[in-house]
Amino acid sequence: MTSVGRSLPHDSAQGHVTGEAHYVEDLPRYEGELWVDFVGAPITAGRITKLDLAEARNLPGVTAVLTHRDLPGVNHFGPIFADEPFLVEDQVQYLCQPVVVIAAESRAVARRARRLVRFVCEETKPLLTIEEALAANSFLGPDRRIERGHVAQSLADAPHTISGEFESGGQEQFYFESQASLAVPGEQGQIRVISSTQNPTETQAVVAEALGLRLHEVVCECKRMGGGFGGKETQSAIPAVMAALVALHTGRPARIVFSKHDDMLITGKRHACKTWYRVGFDDRGKILAASFDFVSNGGAFADLSTSVMERTMLHADNAYFLPTVSIRGRIARTNLPPNTAFRGFGGPQSVVVIENVLQEIAQTLGIDALDVRRINVYRDGDPDRNLTPYGQIVRDHVLAELFANLENSCDYRRRMKEISQFNAKSRTQVRGLALTAVKFGISFTTKFLNQGNALVNVYTDGSVQVSTGGTEMGQGLNTKIRQLVADEFGIGPEQVLLMSTSTEKNHNTSPTAASAGTDLNGAAAIAACQQIKERMADFAAELFADSQAGLVKAPDQVRFVEGHLWDLRIADPAHRIPFEAFCNQARRERVDLGARGFYATPGVDFNRETGRGNPFFYFTMGVAATEVVIDRFTGDLTLERVDLLMDVGQMINPGVDRGQVIGGLIQGIGWCTTEELRYDQTGRLLTTGPTTYKIPNVTDLPRTLNVAFLENPKHQVNVRLSKAVGEPPLLLGISAWAAVKHAMSQLNPDQIARLKLPATNEEILGCLTRLTADAGKDSPY
Amino acid sequence: MRNSLVFYINDSPHEIGDHRAGWTLAEYLRNTCHLMATKVVCAEGDCGSCTVLVGRMQTNCDELVYQPLDSCIVFLFQLDRTHVVTVEGLMHGDQLSPVQQAMVDCHGSQCGFCTPGFVAALHGLVEQHHAQCNGEATLADEELRYGLSGNLCRCTGYSQILEAGKSISLAQVPRLAEQFDQRPLLDALRSLPAEPVHLRCNGTPEEELSEVFLPRQLAEAVRFKTEHPDAKVVAGATDIGVQRNHGKFSPRVILSLSDLVDFDAITLDEEDHLHIGAGATWSEVLANVGDRLPEVRQILRRFGSPQIRNLATIGGNIVNASPIADSLPLLYVLDAQLELIGPSGSRTVAVDQFYLGYKQLELAADELLAAIHFALPRNDERLKLYKVSKRRDLDISTATAGFWFRLDGDVIASARFAAGGVGPTVVRLPLAEAFVVGKPFDDATLREAGRVARTEVRPITDVRSDAAYRAQLVENLFAKAFFELSPELATV
Repeated sequence: MTSVGRSLPHDSAQGHVTGEAHYVEDLPRYEGELWVDFVGAPITAGRITKLDLAEARNLPGVTAVLTHRDLPGVNHFGPIFADEPFLVEDQVQYLCQPVVVIAAESRAVARRARRLVRFVCEETKPLLTIEEALAANSFLGPDRRIERGHVAQSLADAPHTISGEFESGGQEQFYFESQASLAVPGEQGQIRVISSTQNPTETQAVVAEALGLRLHEVVCECKRMGGGFGGKETQSAIPAVMAALVALHTGRPARIVFSKHDDMLITGKRHACKTWYRVGFDDRGKILAASFDFVSNGGAFADLSTSVMERTMLHADNAYFLPTVSIRGRIARTNLPPNTAFRGFGGPQSVVVIENVLQEIAQTLGIDALDVRRINVYRDGDPDRNLTPYGQIVRDHVLAELFANLENSCDYRRRMKEISQFNAKSRTQVRGLALTAVKFGISFTTKFLNQGNALVNVYTDGSVQVSTGGTEMGQGLNTKIRQLVADEFGIGPEQVLLMSTSTEKNHNTSPTAASAGTDLNGAAAIAACQQIKERMADFAAELFADSQAGLVKAPDQVRFVEGHLWDLRIADPAHRIPFEAFCNQARRERVDLGARGFYATPGVDFNRETGRGNPFFYFTMGVAATEVVIDRFTGDLTLERVDLLMDVGQMINPGVDRGQVIGGLIQGIGWCTTEELRYDQTGRLLTTGPTTYKIPNVTDLPRTLNVAFLENPKHQVNVRLSKAVGEPPLLLGISAWAAVKHAMSQLNPDQIARLKLPATNEEILGCLTRLTADAGKDSPY
Repeated sequence: MRNSLVFYINDSPHEIGDHRAGWTLAEYLRNTCHLMATKVVCAEGDCGSCTVLVGRMQTNCDELVYQPLDSCIVFLFQLDRTHVVTVEGLMHGDQLSPVQQAMVDCHGSQCGFCTPGFVAALHGLVEQHHAQCNGEATLADEELRYGLSGNLCRCTGYSQILEAGKSISLAQVPRLAEQFDQRPLLDALRSLPAEPVHLRCNGTPEEELSEVFLPRQLAEAVRFKTEHPDAKVVAGATDIGVQRNHGKFSPRVILSLSDLVDFDAITLDEEDHLHIGAGATWSEVLANVGDRLPEVRQILRRFGSPQIRNLATIGGNIVNASPIADSLPLLYVLDAQLELIGPSGSRTVAVDQFYLGYKQLELAADELLAAIHFALPRNDERLKLYKVSKRRDLDISTATAGFWFRLDGDVIASARFAAGGVGPTVVRLPLAEAFVVGKPFDDATLREAGRVARTEVRPITDVRSDAAYRAQLVENLFAKAFFELSPELATV
């Protein structure tokens, strides 16, 4: 029985439920270990003119109080532009930007010492919003465009046009395990960093640079994360450097774990985004021309913002063909913490814009939004309607089938009719229904990141260890690779263990991101297995060869099945060699039972100067229909029902994939509804914990949730014909927002509602009140 | 008088007589006991990752009843004579418990960080279920959603956790009383004399706490408060536990009311007057009042979370004096009377006279809130209560409201309205009340009353919403109350 295709439990599930699975804060304390904390700048923008550390240094139990001056190496880092200081030198760019690192004998002492650092500052007026940055001409990175055809002319010629502004808010990753690092000094100035990071290679590099070490003097390890969601792709670097700096200065192990409050206050989030759009279409709602001008709020430093914006631009079409199109992307530089990766990586910000446009086209023409979507969707094999704005062919997909199947299975037409009748009658509630799509491009849009390597060790008892550059943050990467490797050797999954990720075993790796963890690392692991199997087959063939029986040595006839090595030509099962015994024998005959595999995604590249290329290996696609009920008095939003249908290829582990789909969907719904970041006028984030920042609760789940998958026989690439599943379902949460937009259109068909995202109860009630006032009624009820 | 706290964690007895009495349970579990399964995420009692089960002796001292609590905000001094069960203690030897196995089999965990909290909460639901002996073989969907609403998960989207919950065969999960050998444990806890506990901690450089007093009788509490007017009075600690974790609560002297005998008594007299001891937890109030007052039930089911309701008390909610305290609109419109007790005896204050300003009380330094009294609505009276929050469950109110009408046929004979979250205290709305009296109970009256009420409130913009939203809510909730009391008019 093969492993791939089975819903095996997560490889750490047993540890999760017993609490045996350890995270950075749970690891046993070292003798002499120090607790590390930091002090951030008390202003949002300006200059520190005086820093008094004496009082903090004198507190009993404080071992070290350090600043940027204590960093032996470079104080600047960044995945794309090295513009961000680890520790403030004198210019402060966001509130609570780390300035001072404190090491103390206990957490309580460190906490107390934090309050004893004195600042004198000169404040300047911060830029906080996209509008303020635009007015001040404050940007990060270049002004990028992707264009096809003459948009201005096509818009002018179009029978109908709509235009507007769309605003979406940021989103906190809200990984449960806050940023954490443990640095252990080694011999001759070397250092080992155990970090909760999606990016051990980058962590190794930044620690080396900051400490003035060579890369080979630093090892970064990550057993698992208590969630990442993109928030630990780059931003785990700062705590890692803080812990490493203390370890270097004191010669003692040092650990830092951010409090949830500090973590939320200073780490970057999903970019808030503002879009100006203008779209021309015909009488049936077919889009003739579209122009999108995206500006994201990048925060104070570049971080990944240019890559995130690139993905925003590359997803402006979503699942719909845009014959003539102009896409512009800019990043506002403001005085907020640098925004960063979050599941979807800019994609949701543009997908929601075009889904909104489709709702508005439908409302303008007085037709159903699903009909507008279906007339615009990419058509597989139709050269007139299958080319993205950047010139990549959308091929081998089942978008049309996804729409058709879900329309039927969720009973869309009947429910739409009932909703209209309900809304005409009810004085207390209004309902909405929308069916939206996602077409998510799989691959890093930065070509060189599309690589992975893996180390496979086969032991003499037939057990196998696998190490890859991929990190486990709950997504089930290790479980899937375990299944892939087990199948390669024809052994049970319990014989395969995935080991802690470490730069000692896998170097020059990419972050576990872009949904590509299994694609890259799984393929690399298989490549390693195949090398070992080739050597094994060669040796086994010697054992199977039998001149008496007329069997020449034939490695290509050797198979690895059900815990045995077989020669296909030999019928008698007694001649099969058990894998365990074989491994032992192979070692004695000096067969190399270990290998390092490498994989690079074929054929992907993108020229960001020209806005042309094939950035994606393939697309993961899906559709979802959400029905919402809104209280006319309070704006309270309830999800009545969600139906979701996706093509995620051949699933390596259906249980894991289902968890990714539902988890992503609900996270997307959170972004669209209750997750609101609120700041005060100085740029201080007020929502710094679950008390005030509201991720979905179990009682927010729709009463009915149907999740299904559609086979796509046309998909013939990628590891075991699977598809990446991490990010795409998040974008189906947009169906909830679109359903609210639909409900608003039911309330006043003549007026297009300006509904921001998130559609909080407050936002919805404001919208309801404005719409009904515009319709000449004194209240929405 | 005893000078140490005694409690059990899983199989081991613990005795604490030093400053650690002021630690949270989660800190003690992780730092002293090295029981690392219990995770702290928010340190605010708002995510449930730190959930453990705490067994308390019932009045008859014959058994322990286990409830889930948030160990990040419960202080050790609240745990005298209890049995704490952590996820480590839920294992059946080296076997997974059926609850744990269900979570494994159904993909109930992804990153795993919230998982121990869910495992504890699920065990808590099973315990509760066993206690009710209702004969069901599995947990129902609604029961699970409600029972797990105090636990957040960021990865799974909850569905597979619900599937795990539904797959548990209840008969196969032993009661904790069976799993742990209760006899010696009960004997040890019962053998402790029924007398107050008084700890003198002599602070440390990190902790200022020097004294903790746990009286058994209200009179002892009053005496201590008279002698120590600066003592911080602690009931369920669900707010000050949070303050403490944010470095905003570090008292020298604590008077803890959690061990007062009969302080949680709830009685309904023959005239339908309800008398609630200030120490009654919201779980207890809900269990005793919920069936009688569905309107109160629907509000209390959204008060905090199951874990919070097992700790938080009605008295704490009143004395903590938050303008968005969920219980206050109810108490305001039912004209509740607060019984205060001090060295010279007791006195009664109407709840709407109790708040002098933001967090300022008509309560002397040597007085304690002892009980709450109010009359249940009669047949000719109508009650509606509202809690508006960004998220339905496990959220702090953006605004609250209470509506009480006495009807004379179709005419409003008298009315009491209250709104919270729209000023420094919960307020009555006298202009709106006066406006409706003598008018027909209809749509037009209530809409207009809403507009009047809107002029009576002064909401602010803060982390939860803008002022304008709160003002609009106050206006709209009048109409909402009308339509919900007149469901036949809710459709045209």
